[in-house]
Amino acid sequence: MSTLYALAEQIEASAIGVAIAESRYAYPIIEGIHLIGLAVSVGLILLTDLRLMNLFMKRVPVVDVLRQLRPYVIGGFIAVFISGGVLFWSAAARMLDSPAFVAKMIFMVFAGLNALYFEFVIAKRAPVQQNHPVLPSSVAYAGVASFALWTLVVMCGRLIPYLPNWG
Amino acid sequence: MTTFEVLTWLQDSALAHAISKTDHLVGAGLQIVHVMGLVALLASLLLIGLHVVGLAFKHQPLTDTAREATKLVWWGLALTALSGTLMFIATPKLYFYNPAFRLKMILFFVAVIVQLLLFRKTAAQTSPKPGFARASVAISLAAWFSVAMAGRMIGFI
Repeated sequence: MSTLYALAEQIEASAIGVAIAESRYAYPIIEGIHLIGLAVSVGLILLTDLRLMNLFMKRVPVVDVLRQLRPYVIGGFIAVFISGGVLFWSAAARMLDSPAFVAKMIFMVFAGLNALYFEFVIAKRAPVQQNHPVLPSSVAYAGVASFALWTLVVMCGRLIPYLPNWG
Repeated sequence: MTTFEVLTWLQDSALAHAISKTDHLVGAGLQIVHVMGLVALLASLLLIGLHVVGLAFKHQPLTDTAREATKLVWWGLALTALSGTLMFIATPKLYFYNPAFRLKMILFFVAVIVQLLLFRKTAAQTSPKPGFARASVAISLAAWFSVAMAGRMIGFI
């Protein structure tokens, strides 16, 4: 942990890190890109989750929702990851100080694992692929898990400045 | 009464004190509701927009998706407006004189006008003219995403 922290301090103190942290407009604009990318990627995922729970767009087959929204979800994620990476670069040690940031990363890993399991196991099953009127309950469970985990990711992200240290 | 006096009165009101003098996590809670509402609002508008211009769900009837997603747009707008109003009441002087906040409010006004005059009309049609549809979706989304961008900048400017 202490080596990780030392590394984070080094990243934060690097020329790029300092330049971002100290620029008047770059930092807020990157924050804005992070928010917009989040609204696109996580927002469309939450809508997809509502479809998996059978609460939204019931008449559109699940496979269609997944396939048609995928490019925009991925596009949004690229924006979120790049902007998030740059923001982290400028405040790496401060981020590790915040329990909200650490919780956010943990929830993100679980959200990612849930998405992979859904994509490669649940969504590959015949009833989903053939759009049966009643889908296995695992589909709805995956939707609930995804909805909860991504909501927690967003909540923890917003809490980072409010929970700056472990004390 | 001058604007400054109005803001002072608001900042000293019982409601403002109730929000700002309690735990600072109340403010964080409002911020979370504000973000989640914004995510619902933007993602639903994007979904309707993609459908209107034919980039997603081409073979589904337009009005179905638009009607369902519009409900979520309203939910998102209600959550952001309510939490935003409470945040403003808690510290009106902080927001009122902030250039990013002023820009955000102007953009918000523009976005609402575009929504009522262009986007809603387009989304309600079964087969809107492609050029008109594309233009109104692009203008509307640009306006709403600019609101989000300006809003995010309030804390830094």
